Amino acid sequence: MPTIAEPTASDAPAPSEQSRAGLDWLNFFVANVQTGFGPFIAVYLTSRAWTQVNIGLALTIGGLVALAGQIPGGAIVDIVRSKRLVAGVAMGAIAASALMLALWPVFLAVVASEILHSLASCLLGPALAAISLGLVGHAAIGERLGRNASFASLGNGIAAALMGACGRLFSDQAVFLVTAVLAVPALMAVTRIRSEEIDPLRARGGARRGPSGGLPALLTNLPLVIFSGCILLFHFANAAMLPLMASIVTMRSSDWATVLIAACIVVPQAVVAVSSAWVGRQAQRIGRRPMLLLGFVALVIRGALFAVISSPYLLVVVQLLDGVSAAVIGVMLPLVVADTTRGSGRFNFALGVVGSTAGIGAAISTTFAGYISDHLGSRTAFLSLALIAAVGLAAVYRLMPETRARTETPP
Amino acid sequence: MRRHSPGVAAIALMIIGLAAGCPAEAQDQAPPSSTPPPATEPPAPQSPAPQALPGSPAPPAAPSGTPPATVLPKDETQGVLGKDVRSATGEPMGQIINVIVDKAGQPRAAVIDFGGFLGVGSRKIAVDWSALHFAPGKPPGAITLDFTRNQLKAAPEYKEGQPVVVLSASGSAQPIETPGSPEH
Repeated sequence: MPTIAEPTASDAPAPSEQSRAGLDWLNFFVANVQTGFGPFIAVYLTSRAWTQVNIGLALTIGGLVALAGQIPGGAIVDIVRSKRLVAGVAMGAIAASALMLALWPVFLAVVASEILHSLASCLLGPALAAISLGLVGHAAIGERLGRNASFASLGNGIAAALMGACGRLFSDQAVFLVTAVLAVPALMAVTRIRSEEIDPLRARGGARRGPSGGLPALLTNLPLVIFSGCILLFHFANAAMLPLMASIVTMRSSDWATVLIAACIVVPQAVVAVSSAWVGRQAQRIGRRPMLLLGFVALVIRGALFAVISSPYLLVVVQLLDGVSAAVIGVMLPLVVADTTRGSGRFNFALGVVGSTAGIGAAISTTFAGYISDHLGSRTAFLSLALIAAVGLAAVYRLMPETRARTETPP
Repeated sequence: MRRHSPGVAAIALMIIGLAAGCPAEAQDQAPPSSTPPPATEPPAPQSPAPQALPGSPAPPAAPSGTPPATVLPKDETQGVLGKDVRSATGEPMGQIINVIVDKAGQPRAAVIDFGGFLGVGSRKIAVDWSALHFAPGKPPGAITLDFTRNQLKAAPEYKEGQPVVVLSASGSAQPIETPGSPEH
């Protein structure tokens, strides 16, 4: 059960402007760097005369490592005192893996690069959350996470546009060189955050009281377990929607297909950038549950609309809903984990556990939707995904407790 | 360890990455234009590596040692895997990801990864081999296709292990019936 730490003097810290700006830009540039590692790797390796079998193998290895590494990654971030060091090392490793991809696209090097990138990402995600919590404390974390998500989606959107242009104008290889170069401003942003303002105790969710073990302690933390289930359902319903929809856009539109797909990726990012701060504030004011319900409702409606809409242009409009649910889940995931691990000293470990369930959900999603779409058509696939989202919605409504601490009354 | 700034560690890692990457680049640039099969990457772990080196003796049939070698001129031939395909009007269509051959070893179709943005939303489509035109001499190794994006977009998706539906030069989709039968 989450024990709620009584607010102490150190619970309402006031980090300097410099640290806050550093964290903003860190989120921005980390998202920049991570954009290159998406599905684009497959395009790049194909242009290097890789067979589809080898590409699939390399990416699967990377994916499995990313899944297995989340929990240990979170545990390491809990233990290491300097969260800045963890973030810096992880950024350096990601830059190295981008360079390996660009300069040495042979099988072993690509697999090594994928593994290195996955491990680094498993550290980087919790490290950013830990720095945030360590800087601002539980009382202000909702708004901080909203800001993080805004800057991250700005970074993603801008990087997608930049890398699309880069691949078109120069070469696919240039995309990864740009990725590696973008790690430099990310590292500069890390150094802007003042180390002494990150309270290591706060960064792991407060002091540990009594014996709080690892996984067993989390498994008895009922709100956290329920939340993990909801997150699994969310990604199960969500992950396959965009790729499936994008391939339909390719099928139905010719001249504008590429632009429309780019819009389908960038439009939600813009919504997240604009609305995340609001989501964070609302979560502090009216609570986590209403926001989670909003995110799941948007997902259900999106799946249902994809099933009935045939105009590729309208599909782009529906992607606004993707932005809504992405903003909600992007802010709520670390926020609810922070809520439910208060005073446990296990914030980042728990973040790793919930991150793993998210990864499992996403992995099932693409396989499931691909199978349904092949055998029963894409409309049935979208309806099935909407149905899964509806189950998630019901789970939030019936089972998920409000996790906002009572002491956090609106200002 | 704890005293080191993150920047130092990062720079060290980058240097390692650079050092590891450079020699391989040269090795990577050389092969595609001169050797016929473009499979230059190491084989997947499941298959042990049947790399026939140019100078190695061929199995039983050639008692004299080295089999006779043919040199394919660089400007007349090219590898096709991963190459960009454009329409006659220069629209980007996608990359060749596989070549389908019949029993006689004759290429029947090319599988193209068509459309998409940054790897999202592309579809694998098989097109008739005779609809492809190669011009190896030209700088970008231009491969052109007789179809427009509009003709290609709705073609059935290529799936491994299922009958290949090929967009033929006449513009209609038809399955490859009996592999090995003459095409026309």
